[in-house]
Amino acid sequence: MIEEGRALFLQIAERVEDSILDGSLAEESQAPSTNELAAFYRINPATAAKGIAMLTDKGVLHKRRGIGMFVSPGARELLLGERRAAFADRFLDPLLAEARTLGLSPDDIARLLSERAARTTTEGTAR
Amino acid sequence: MTTVIEVKNLTKRYRDTVAADDVSFTIEKDTIYGLLGRNGAGKTTVMSILTAQNFATSGEVRVFGEHPYENARVLPRMCFVRESQRYPDDATATHALRMARLFFPRWSQELADRLIADFQLPMKKAIKKLSRGQLSAVGVIIGLASRAEITFFDEPYLGLDAVARQLFYDRLLEDYSEHPRTIILSSHLIDEVSNLLERVIVIDKGRIIMDEETEAVRGRAATIVGDTARVEAFVDGREVIHRESLGRVTSATVLGELTDADRSRLAAEGLDIAPVSLQQLIVRTTQHVESALTAAPEGAL
Amino acid sequence: MNRTWNVVRLQLINKQTYVWVPLIVLAGSFVLTLLIWSMVPFGGQKYSGGAQAVYWYFGVVGVQALTLTFPFSQAMSVTRREYFFGATLTAVLTSALLASIYVGGAFLERATGGWGMEGYFFSIDWIWDAGPAAAWLLYFAVPMLFFMIGFGSATFYKRFGSVGLTVLLVGIGLSLVGLGWLIGRADGWSAVGTWIATQGTAGIAAWTLVVALVVGALSFAPLRRATP
Repeated sequence: MIEEGRALFLQIAERVEDSILDGSLAEESQAPSTNELAAFYRINPATAAKGIAMLTDKGVLHKRRGIGMFVSPGARELLLGERRAAFADRFLDPLLAEARTLGLSPDDIARLLSERAARTTTEGTAR
Repeated sequence: MTTVIEVKNLTKRYRDTVAADDVSFTIEKDTIYGLLGRNGAGKTTVMSILTAQNFATSGEVRVFGEHPYENARVLPRMCFVRESQRYPDDATATHALRMARLFFPRWSQELADRLIADFQLPMKKAIKKLSRGQLSAVGVIIGLASRAEITFFDEPYLGLDAVARQLFYDRLLEDYSEHPRTIILSSHLIDEVSNLLERVIVIDKGRIIMDEETEAVRGRAATIVGDTARVEAFVDGREVIHRESLGRVTSATVLGELTDADRSRLAAEGLDIAPVSLQQLIVRTTQHVESALTAAPEGAL
Repeated sequence: MNRTWNVVRLQLINKQTYVWVPLIVLAGSFVLTLLIWSMVPFGGQKYSGGAQAVYWYFGVVGVQALTLTFPFSQAMSVTRREYFFGATLTAVLTSALLASIYVGGAFLERATGGWGMEGYFFSIDWIWDAGPAAAWLLYFAVPMLFFMIGFGSATFYKRFGSVGLTVLLVGIGLSLVGLGWLIGRADGWSAVGTWIATQGTAGIAAWTLVVALVVGALSFAPLRRATP
């Protein structure tokens, strides 16, 4: 679950962001507390707090005094924007590098992409 | 952040060895520290001196601003559970815990009872007849239930199996979340405890070689694997703390965070990036420091 | 003071060491003595040295107070001072208990005419003649001394090792022999004997306590630097 060699607070923050993006954590709803996160991931509460702090600084979460941390309105849009910007770096560069090693041209990649995308859609509608 | 322990230039010399060599560090309140290092690195020596069970040859130690030696104001606020703690002859776990309850002002019997059940500790059996794991459990329970403001755990969980160890870590985190205190955990099982630690202090041959926030250290190194020539080209100018080669493939561990540009370059070169766990990082750094020390005389020329 | 009292409780965790075993040793040697006396055919007063068995055991208790309880007291974050006074207090309490048992036994002995056999275990004449109070004091002082010797030796050993302890014991032995030689040179043995006799039971008890005190005080310094 937790990756080696990478700061935990970043990973915790990413998990929270993931759940906001996929809709399981709605805007204006209460985010898991530091202690809850710490207990769930079995990490030091201070580390979990660091992750929450980062999300708060970003504007993804905000604090409601006396109650806890809540997902800020517009958080999802913010994260979508962030992830889209990073998409090419995170996924396309490695893909292109591997394709080069295998001798696949950008046209080959494009063709494979369309085929796979079509298949996933039919599977999706079939279900 | 309040400092609860201050150590300045602590040195402990025995007849022919130096157990602690000019050690300096501070411990902040309500933080979980890992005091990491190899067996015999000096962890127990340092913790013994902090709790006035052993004495420094030179240097200064302040706990809650005072010298801990024979200090009845300061000592009851600390709890030091040793790896091989000796108990009174024929004493049972019941006796030991009853005594701990008398001496530690913040003792929680509720927590102790819960832990006794968790670890399935036989309460009426003589401690000297307990298994290694059960003996460790006694120490662990005393340390946890003491709720002492500064609690040291000197690898007391060594006799515990993996399930029991995980139980210890879980209970530790749970209690720390609800009742924060300063905890110093010594271990050589770094990866097991790394998630609990807010700060790591690494000690090797009596010297501190690292004193940092755990999160800052994680991700500080990466292992680059691939064609030897390309790997060497990439790591040129960077600090390499470990290198291994097999044929034309080299695996080099470098210090320093990889930027996005680095990652793109590595992807383009067809080189793999393997993560470096905290334990690996510390092990490699320790080895690196040790070999640098032995090589020093030549380097000095 | 509260923590010092808790050290007493710490020492007494295991009633075996300080209460049951001494009582068993005492009871055992007493019964054995009675049996031997009942088998002996001659009349007249009989004496036994069996009462001293427990004292040797107190020496062992003194040693164990340090070797077994001191390390644990360190884990309990107790200072060495609290530990020292707590251990001493424990010895005082148990020695007092033992002395009371002896005096009680002595009364019983005298009342039954030496257990019906004219056998004297608890109330040796020269001790009892000075009165029960003096006897109590002596019966208190002796185990205290044995305890302190055991405790002191163990402390010295912990601090200075076996070589250190050996040197100390040899040194003491030589000093005593030297002292004896000096007394002999000055033809003073009869004077020493007279002096001892004039001290009386209470006097000897007092001197014994003084020695115990000195041994105790001397073991405090090494304890201050002992590690568990």
